[in-house]
Amino acid sequence: MNGSLPALTPGLLLAGAVTAAAVSLWLLLPRGAESRLARSLGLVLGAVALAGFIAAGRRLGSLGEEAVFLTVALVAVVSGAATIVTRSPVYSAIWFALSLAGVAGVLLVLGAQFLGVATIVVYAGAILVMFLFVLMLAQPSGLAPYDRVSNEPLLSAVAGAVLLGLLSLSIGRLSTDASCCAVPSKAAAVTGAAQPPAPPTADDPLAVDQVARLGGELFGRHLLAVEVAGVLLLAALIGAIAVVTRGEAALEQDRRLAAGGGNR
Amino acid sequence: MSDYLPSLPTIVALVKIGLLVGGLMTAAAYLVLVERWMAAWVQDRKGPNRVGIPLTKVRLFGLGQPLADGLKIILKEDFTPRHVDKVLYTAAPLVILAASLAIFAAIPFGSSLPPIPALGLTGEEPLLVAPGLDVGVLWVFALSSIAVYGVLLGGWASNNKYGFLGGLRSSAQLVAYEIPLGLGLLGVVLAAGSLKLDTIMNAQADTGVWYAFAQPLGFLVFLVAAFAEAARLPFDLPEAEQELVGGYHTEYSGIKLLLFLVAEFLHMVTAAFLIVIMFLGGWHLWGLTGSGPVETWTVALIRFGVLSAKILGVILFFMLVRWSWPRFRFDQLMNLAWKVMLPLGLANLVTVAAVEEFRPQLVAALGEGWAKAAALGLPWAVFFIGWITAGMLTPSGTDNTPIRARGPLDIEHELVEA
Repeated sequence: MNGSLPALTPGLLLAGAVTAAAVSLWLLLPRGAESRLARSLGLVLGAVALAGFIAAGRRLGSLGEEAVFLTVALVAVVSGAATIVTRSPVYSAIWFALSLAGVAGVLLVLGAQFLGVATIVVYAGAILVMFLFVLMLAQPSGLAPYDRVSNEPLLSAVAGAVLLGLLSLSIGRLSTDASCCAVPSKAAAVTGAAQPPAPPTADDPLAVDQVARLGGELFGRHLLAVEVAGVLLLAALIGAIAVVTRGEAALEQDRRLAAGGGNR
Repeated sequence: MSDYLPSLPTIVALVKIGLLVGGLMTAAAYLVLVERWMAAWVQDRKGPNRVGIPLTKVRLFGLGQPLADGLKIILKEDFTPRHVDKVLYTAAPLVILAASLAIFAAIPFGSSLPPIPALGLTGEEPLLVAPGLDVGVLWVFALSSIAVYGVLLGGWASNNKYGFLGGLRSSAQLVAYEIPLGLGLLGVVLAAGSLKLDTIMNAQADTGVWYAFAQPLGFLVFLVAAFAEAARLPFDLPEAEQELVGGYHTEYSGIKLLLFLVAEFLHMVTAAFLIVIMFLGGWHLWGLTGSGPVETWTVALIRFGVLSAKILGVILFFMLVRWSWPRFRFDQLMNLAWKVMLPLGLANLVTVAAVEEFRPQLVAALGEGWAKAAALGLPWAVFFIGWITAGMLTPSGTDNTPIRARGPLDIEHELVEA
């Protein structure tokens, strides 16, 4: 190391990684004109940023855990970035689905089975399929030009980087607290590993029978929130029906047109 | 150093995965043969009965047919048309097959094996790849919703109108029927108190009452939804040959087509597994397999045999249905999902919830025996009432005249008229 350079502290590393991520995204975000140089530079910077984040992050227990976690995390992050830099909306949706799969993988590695699976069911399985459905129906051939470009590449890249930096900083500060670091990976629980699990404590949400405990928690302490969410969804449902239904008069008009309209 | 060696649970899981994937692939190949035999039997012809051992004259009832079919389709030219979106065109069959195989991580394919001390397995070894997965049913649900991507992307990437129509139909159908499927599931989950499929089987073995008898309406709803999710006749609109050539896999050939076809078959096998495990008692059969732990290999084998026999039975039912009913029209399909299956599923769920909630009060008021009878009788009463109501409220003929969307010209015309 060159003595004149400041030592590579974790904070500096993080700042560098965040900056590289911002510049990389700014270079990669779709604009009117394509530049091969900007593209390759953006890809390189993105790789540098990812390496920086990995280096700044905390190590997990074993090599296997580390490998699995890094794989799913990289899938989530890289496809998340690809979602916003891709030009084709269909590809964008696919990348988003892959990103959700990565997030679900991270949750599974951390032992939050219900959240992981629910992410796939709700987002990838239902919402995104609807997106794809609409995209394919609405624009089967090509795109409108205004959909091809990013509106505010610089501002959005900077805003994203600031958010990313603040989040990593606060989470990093939390994780240097000794109290929080004893989160063991529960990934082994999925394969029914034989090693005796730590005795479940009363307030460990990832202990055995977690779905039952989650249900108890949701319908015990958070009952009001669940009920309010239910009412909200019902209202949205009724709203959707109200928007779609056009009433008997409109239907009658349609019938009249269908009967006498022909191919006018 | 021990960090780099796989641990015993990992090895066991890998062995299970190997057995399962090998078994499923072979089963899928032979189920195609069974399906062709079934088709031949229904249509009063002989069916494939020639191919036996190659280079000899031994025919073996045509048991060599799957091998020959497989070889043929693998050796065929894997043609990629020029107008397709190459990446997604290649990814679609991979996605659908991977998803339909990964589903089986949470599905038990037997009860469990007795302890094998020689290998270091001191406990009972469940025949399930991921026994620690607490959300088994949800896992199945999640991955079967991922399979939609394969169909949708295959149809879109083909850049072919038949493929596209097939993909659209399929996604609408699968998303619509996920709701009755989920409602059917919920009743069972509520009664068993667990999302784990092996716990659900054990609950049925313990009481001796299969959920098909305890929740007939839920069974009906789930069965219909499972047919629709597996896109089997009468719900095979995504690939209706007479209308769409081949639907979403019109443009596919060779090995990619094979992947699609295998995945489709696996969907049917998954549906059969779920129906048997959740509603038909899994490995339980009165008088043959009792509940409780597995101590000997005989018990383990009998349970495995019972489960497999039931699954084969359900698959044969699927195949018989294919040659017995004509296909729905799309509006009928959607009406069935939203106007019949959804209310019936809700009725079942409410009934099950009420029975489970008031079971202690029932026992206190009526005594053990009558309470059991009431808990069984109420769902059956709801079943018949629901069936008759649905039958009376659903019109026997449906209006198929197209409703024209009003274009700007129409509106102008109306304005002039007014």
